[in-house]
Amino acid sequence: MNSAKQLWILLIVLLVSSFAVLLWSGREIEIAKPPVPERVISESGQTIYTRAEIERGRVVWQSIGGQQLGSIWGHGGLVAPDWSADWLHREVIAILDQWAEAEYGAPWSELNEEQQNGLQGRLRARVRQNTYDPETGTITLPDERANAIRTVSTHYEGLFGADPAFHELREGYAMRNDTIPDAENRRLLGAFFWWTAWAAVTERPGDTITYTNNWPSEPLVGNRPPASMFLWSAFSVTFLLAGIALLGWHYARTHSQKEEPHDLPKVDPMRSVVVTPSMIATGKYFWVVLALFLVQILLGALTAHYQVEGQLVYGYEMAEIFPYSITRTWHTQLAVLWIATAWLGTGLYMAPAISGKEPKFQALGVNVLWVCLLIIVVGSFAGQWLAVMQRLNLDQNFWWGHQGWEYADMGRFWQWFLFIGLMIWLILVGRALLPALRANTESRSIIALFFLSAVAIGLFYGAALMWNEHTHLSIVEYWRWWLVHLWVEGFFEVFATAVIAFLFTRLGLLPVKTATVAVLFATIVFMAGGVLGTLHHLYFAGSPTPVLALGASFSALEVVPLAYIGFEAYDQWRLSGATPWMRRYKWPVMFFLAVAFWNLVGAGLFGFLINPPLSLYYMQGLNLTPLHGHTALFGVYGMLGIGLVLFCLRGMKPDLVWHEGLLKTSFWCFNIGLAGMALLTLLPLGVLQLLAAINNGYWFARSEQFMQQPFVDLLIWMRVPGDTIFAIGALTFGLFVAGLWLLPKREPPEPEELTRTRP
Amino acid sequence: MEEFYLQIRQVHIGAVLTSGALFLLRGLGLNLFNAAWPMWAPVRYVSYTIDTVLLTAALMLMTIVHQYPFMHAWLTVKLVLLVVYIVLGSFALKRAKTRRARLGFFAAALLVFGYIYYVARAHHPLGLFSGLL
Repeated sequence: MNSAKQLWILLIVLLVSSFAVLLWSGREIEIAKPPVPERVISESGQTIYTRAEIERGRVVWQSIGGQQLGSIWGHGGLVAPDWSADWLHREVIAILDQWAEAEYGAPWSELNEEQQNGLQGRLRARVRQNTYDPETGTITLPDERANAIRTVSTHYEGLFGADPAFHELREGYAMRNDTIPDAENRRLLGAFFWWTAWAAVTERPGDTITYTNNWPSEPLVGNRPPASMFLWSAFSVTFLLAGIALLGWHYARTHSQKEEPHDLPKVDPMRSVVVTPSMIATGKYFWVVLALFLVQILLGALTAHYQVEGQLVYGYEMAEIFPYSITRTWHTQLAVLWIATAWLGTGLYMAPAISGKEPKFQALGVNVLWVCLLIIVVGSFAGQWLAVMQRLNLDQNFWWGHQGWEYADMGRFWQWFLFIGLMIWLILVGRALLPALRANTESRSIIALFFLSAVAIGLFYGAALMWNEHTHLSIVEYWRWWLVHLWVEGFFEVFATAVIAFLFTRLGLLPVKTATVAVLFATIVFMAGGVLGTLHHLYFAGSPTPVLALGASFSALEVVPLAYIGFEAYDQWRLSGATPWMRRYKWPVMFFLAVAFWNLVGAGLFGFLINPPLSLYYMQGLNLTPLHGHTALFGVYGMLGIGLVLFCLRGMKPDLVWHEGLLKTSFWCFNIGLAGMALLTLLPLGVLQLLAAINNGYWFARSEQFMQQPFVDLLIWMRVPGDTIFAIGALTFGLFVAGLWLLPKREPPEPEELTRTRP
Repeated sequence: MEEFYLQIRQVHIGAVLTSGALFLLRGLGLNLFNAAWPMWAPVRYVSYTIDTVLLTAALMLMTIVHQYPFMHAWLTVKLVLLVVYIVLGSFALKRAKTRRARLGFFAAALLVFGYIYYVARAHHPLGLFSGLL
């Protein structure tokens, strides 16, 4: 049995076992999730909330942008508070105030330390107690807690309405006035927020930790990291070191083996590839990539600016037309959409190039799919805008409006449409690749992996269809992370690894056998941590301890291959100078090198910074999360998307001279701008928030008091230099691409090519 | 943020003066002494950095004082003239083909810079001439 075959078997066994455990974890979450009660009543018998009200409240929350405006259980936007933590804090303060007034005649904050400690002790005992009765589905609360709920509900009803008394707070939270015009809907929103706070403070039956594993940190109610979090954080670091040692041994062993020398091509082999009509048709995908990317940057600037002016953009009442929750929705959604479009375009371009065959009506299919993608972008964005502006009936919101789940925000209709679009893409790529898959050549294995990653990209988007309008929050989060983590961070990674390796084999720079083994091995290493690493997003989303343990352990392993990414980068850099004609591919390779750099820094270092359970307990939803998000999503997938676009453009227009100056400016502006954004704002602000969360509780790190401090404002402004430089990079890249079509300059043919006949 | 108004204003004014002084020195060096240093990469990058600081401070000041271009005339004039200044400066240092043309653009750019300075001092679109009204 050759090594490629052994690696295939290992990969299959790994994937089957990993997904079995992942599905088992889903079942564990299903069993351990916090219950949604049929009724919440006070001890005096008054009904506070019903299940229908809590569920309806969630729909209201989703319709205003859900996780795009503030967060729940730490997942979502960063400017408005985490509503679970905020509600919890306000509710317990309201309870303490009632007791303090009754017993000492003063508000709780004015009591001395001894008096405060006494009341806090009573609070912890009562508020953490689980009074849910599974027989009747009823939660019974003390009367003082029912009063506190009414107090907090009144606060939220004012905040989400148009009450001028809350105007300043709305500005601080970057909320538009009258976010929810309907008074009853505002009350119902409170029902949902209350339930998420209840789950965060109520101990699981027979246990001393809450449904959210004691998240958020809240000293008043004794919410502090449980022992399991310390334990699995320590083990995760240990697993990481063990993984690094093991892979180090592997690299030491394999890199000492000399590669067999092979002849490098005298001319660029890709120049002999026949550019078919369908390959030419993919050009418009790259135009769309560019347009979406530029709009995404503009929306990012608007979103960031709302942190300073709340509802205004340099004096203009922008929040009345495009409020924060819609600009953030589109900003995050476009990030995925343009990167995905770049990769879809690459797949469609590469498939006929690989097989050398153009199936019938392939170009038509490429064009139809392109139109579908445009309809999906425009249609889903329109629905989201209507939802956030509350111009859509709540009953239509799930299908046509805003689902409110970060990165999976589009209405269900549009999700189905996108899924069908991906199936069309899969068919188009598959039928073009089929001749190459059938041919018994050395490349078959690597082509098969390329195709399988395309199948996974197509099918795994289906995870977004696994929840319904009223599916339990914990279960929605479980499937949502299948989509975000497995789709974006898993199979795209395999797709990219396979494509880049394949490109180097096509360029004749890497022997096929070496590349095949390297790609299969890399896929195994990535997927060993990647599949079960999904669970690290679910530490505080109603998951039991075994799920937390699995997430901590396997997500640490995700960092292992990144520690050795320097090998990959060095190999790519070496290959870029292997032949004189490789200078034609200098900039795609430079972007691939940037991918390696940001994979180490953004995904590896900043990712592991927030990854262990103990770290994430305090850091989730602070600015350290977008530190990882921006540097990993743009640094890795964005840079990769641009590198792939450049590679395809080189093949699509092989005889054009490239404007090196524009590409050089663009490349360095992207990297310097991204570094500026990360190091001048996100990292220092995240660290300040972290200290605040540890010292005062999570609610404080996300509160208006903290975020409106002058120094925090100053740090937010420090985004301007980095963002400006980054935007210049995008504009120069746009100019470069536009120049290829609008001002093409042909290069003189090379001497060898004068005598060569194109097939 | 208002707490830092004076410091931000000082940074803005400092960046304006440094940017103008550097442009003056580069223009003189290039056009009168035919020197190479004005176009050296480090000098260009220092210029970009100063201008980025200037821009950031300007945006912060706008937000603090709640005065914006296209809403307040003096800021509109400043913004439009800034674009003119950048274009003239680009021709003065790089794009104009003859030395004579470069000198002409250089002088025009300095005049525009001076006018912007007085618009900023007077908070009036007529700048130096606002007293004439």
